[in-house]
Amino acid sequence: MSLANSIRKEFTTLSLVLIPVGMVLNIVVGQLASTLKLPIFLDSIGTMLVALLVGPWAGALTGFLGNLIWGLITDPVAAPFALVALVIGLVTGLLARVGFFRQWWQAGVSGVIVTLALAPVAILIRTYLFGGVTGSGADFLTAYLLQVGQDLFGAVVVTVITSNLADKVVTALLAWGLVKYLPQRFTARFPGAERVIG
Amino acid sequence: MDSGLPTLYRPGDSWLHRRHPLTKLAYAASLAVAGFAAPWPAAAWFLLGALTLPLAAWARLARPLGRALLWSLAPLAAALLIIHGLFNPANHTILASWGELTLGQEGLIYALATLGRLAGALGASLLCLYTTPPGDLMTALQQRGLPAGLAYVLISTLQLLPLMRRRAQAILAAQQARGLRLEGNLLIRARALLPAVIPLVVGALLDVEERALALESRGFSRPGPRTSLQAVPDTALDRSLRWALAAGALVTLVWRWWP
Repeated sequence: MSLANSIRKEFTTLSLVLIPVGMVLNIVVGQLASTLKLPIFLDSIGTMLVALLVGPWAGALTGFLGNLIWGLITDPVAAPFALVALVIGLVTGLLARVGFFRQWWQAGVSGVIVTLALAPVAILIRTYLFGGVTGSGADFLTAYLLQVGQDLFGAVVVTVITSNLADKVVTALLAWGLVKYLPQRFTARFPGAERVIG
Repeated sequence: MDSGLPTLYRPGDSWLHRRHPLTKLAYAASLAVAGFAAPWPAAAWFLLGALTLPLAAWARLARPLGRALLWSLAPLAAALLIIHGLFNPANHTILASWGELTLGQEGLIYALATLGRLAGALGASLLCLYTTPPGDLMTALQQRGLPAGLAYVLISTLQLLPLMRRRAQAILAAQQARGLRLEGNLLIRARALLPAVIPLVVGALLDVEERALALESRGFSRPGPRTSLQAVPDTALDRSLRWALAAGALVTLVWRWWP
């Protein structure tokens, strides 16, 4: 099956309806996490859910467009990070496709792999587009590392990895748990779900 | 468009409002490119001050635009100025010092240039969104080949957002009425997460199937072009503006990267 075909196969009516739901879940659950003052973002839960239920391309689109829309209507800093969200959706979907999202520990390890995959993209955007900061709490870590003698790039590498690792592992576990325990009559309609439920 | 959508559109009848959506999109894209590519650190500030703000003032949007820019860039500006002004390793020319802390010229210029690029790109895209109804933008993009499915995804997200926010608040209120605690130490707050997230996600996902059936029965997945009820007029002026904007962006790119 060619690449174009495998992409086209993911975009059925059902998945085109699911993708906006995923994008909105990213925003609403992300806000919930900040209402509860949790130290993680949880703003890729929708992206990961779509990637698990449908596949890597739908997951990538959910992440990319979700960040872009959020950037345009509320927080302009989020827009360039659409590329990071795209990587999250793509890598989650690919990991699920090769069967690495069946057990809870696999979901946890997948969260680590997603962090490692998004790091280069996030580091480049943060360093070269924003001069190393994003106006969030993580900037204090960057400032501290610069002060103790790190260069900007090194300081951003440490900031990106530490602020994403816990978040992506928890998000992957949560997404896995939701797909696993959703009603089967719902998940059975999505092509990706059987590779997670196993 | 339904006024309940979380859009930035501000109705009006200015010259800018009457331009074709793609012309304004080209403006936002070419100003972002020019601001980032120009070899001169103040170029983006200049484009913002000399083009975007006068255009906004002409459309009577200078005040909301200025306020939105200040509001959304203030935290980033503070972080950039502090981190680069005080801690950038490239700082050699000292402008001021307070005890241990020194303000360096190199870092300050770097911070201001980065901020200008972001402010320039954001100002131009906000101006585009302020003066373009989202429905017109979608129609214009669909006429140029944006797949109908993708247009649905974009509009549907904007429509779902306020609904889901309301649902999240209702779930939180219902769970609190049953004794869920949202305040306390980290463990207590973390425990509140699942009772809030599970009903939200499960409810949202179960609606998906119903909506897909409704769309399917209206020929959503039918191939071929769609006829739009709404006409989006394109003029010769718009076409020449778009060419000029594309040429301007290209010139800055060539200027920057010519050997």
